[in-house]
Amino acid sequence: MENSKELLLVHTAMKHVSLSEPVNIMLTPQFYTLKKEILPVTYAYQAKRLAGSLFEGLLDGEGSYEFFVYKEDEHWTFIAYDIDKIIDFLQKKGFNQGDVSKIFFAQQSVEEFTAPYVLSDQDALVVLDDTVVLVPVNALSTEEASSLKFDRHFTPKKGVSLEDASSSIFTLKQTVIFSTVFIFFAMMFLIEGSRYGGGSGSAEEELQSLYAQYPSFQSTYTREGIVSKYRELDKTERAKREAVKRLSGMIFKGVTLTALHVDHKSVKANFSCSSKKIAQRVENLGKKAQFKVSKIKGSHGLHMEGTL
Amino acid sequence: MNWKRYQNELIVLGAFLFMFSMYLYKQHAISSQSGERNDVTQTIEEIKEVVALKKIWADKKISKKVENLKTLVPSSKVKWSKKSRKVTALYTGLRPSELNKLTSKILNTPVVIDNLDIQKTGSSYRVEFKCKW
Repeated sequence: MENSKELLLVHTAMKHVSLSEPVNIMLTPQFYTLKKEILPVTYAYQAKRLAGSLFEGLLDGEGSYEFFVYKEDEHWTFIAYDIDKIIDFLQKKGFNQGDVSKIFFAQQSVEEFTAPYVLSDQDALVVLDDTVVLVPVNALSTEEASSLKFDRHFTPKKGVSLEDASSSIFTLKQTVIFSTVFIFFAMMFLIEGSRYGGGSGSAEEELQSLYAQYPSFQSTYTREGIVSKYRELDKTERAKREAVKRLSGMIFKGVTLTALHVDHKSVKANFSCSSKKIAQRVENLGKKAQFKVSKIKGSHGLHMEGTL
Repeated sequence: MNWKRYQNELIVLGAFLFMFSMYLYKQHAISSQSGERNDVTQTIEEIKEVVALKKIWADKKISKKVENLKTLVPSSKVKWSKKSRKVTALYTGLRPSELNKLTSKILNTPVVIDNLDIQKTGSSYRVEFKCKW
C-alpha cells in the first residue's frame, strides 16, 4: 500500500536525504504550476487533453511538461510539472532511482494544511482560496506559525508514479531482469564462440603430417594437376576393365567369345551361341549390362558394343 | 532530449545489443571454423587421392609387372616389342585357359590399354595388345 510508505515533503530548501527504502514524495508549488477551470467534460482523460491549451503562455517553453488532472467539487484542477527538472532536483538531494514510489502534489492535500507549514526560514506553505501556495515566513503572524505535523496522513489517493512519469517502458526491476538475462546469454555466446574459434585440431595435425611426408603437395596447383591427370586415366581404365569383366560374365556353357576389341573409345565383342535360346539369354544379359546388342545374320551369333 | 528519462530502455537495449553482437560473433566463429575445417578436410582428401592414384598408376614396379605378361605363355606364342614405356605384344595359338590367364593378368596390370584385340581362329585365339604406362 502506498499509504504505508513514508511521505516526504520536497521543497527547494530541503536537506540532503539518505534513504534505505522507497518513499512517497509530495511536491510544493515550487515544482508545479496550478490552474483550476470549470469545464464541460466528464472524465479526467478528456480534461487532460485540454491541459496543454489551458497552460499556453504560462509555462516555460524549454521544459517538457506533463499534466496531472483531477476533479475538485465542480472544477477541474490542472497541475503542470516538468518531470526532468524534478528528477534532477531529487538526484541532487540524494534520491536514487527507485527511492521514489509516487509523487504527489501539495494541492492534493489542501484540506490537510489546516495551518501554515514552515518550510524554511524564508518560506511557508499556506492555503489561500483553497489553493496551497508558498508565502514568505515574514508574512505570517507569530500565532499562525504553528507546529503542523507533516506525515503520511497527507498522502492523497492518487499520485504519479515516477517511472510512469519518466515515460519508461521498463521498471527498474524489469530492467535488471532483462539486462541480466541478455548479459547471461551474451556470455554463453561468447564462451561458445571462443571454443569454436579454436581451430580444427586433429585434422590440422593430419594435414601437417601429410605435408611433411609429401612436401610437393603443399601446392594446390601441383595437387590439382596430378589429380586431374590421374583421375581421368583412372576413370577410363577402370571403365575398360569393368566392361571386359561384364562381357566375360556372359561366357558360359554354349557361349564362345569369337572376338573382343578394346580401345580408348569403345569395347566390342562377338559371341557365338549354340542355340537360339542361349543367344536370347546372352542378348538379355548384354542389354542389362547396357551394351548395344545386335544379331549376326546367318548364325546364333551376337555383336555387343559399349562406349567408354 | 533527456537521456536519463530513457535510461532503463537504454540499459536493456545495450544489454540486448551486447547479446546480439555475441550471438553474431558465435555464428561467425562457427561458420569460419566450419569453412576452415572443410578446407582442411578437402585438402587431406585431395592429397590422399593423389597418393592413392600415384601409387596405382605411377608405380615403379609396373615395368616388371608388364614383363610378366611376356612370360605368362610359352615364348613361341609371343612376339614382344618394348620401347621405353610402351609395349606391343602379339600372342598367337592361345588355348582358352591361356587366354583367360592372359586377359585377367592384363586387366590387373595398371597400364593404359591402347588396344586389346582378341580373335578366335579355329580352336585357338590370337591376341594383339598395346599398352603404355
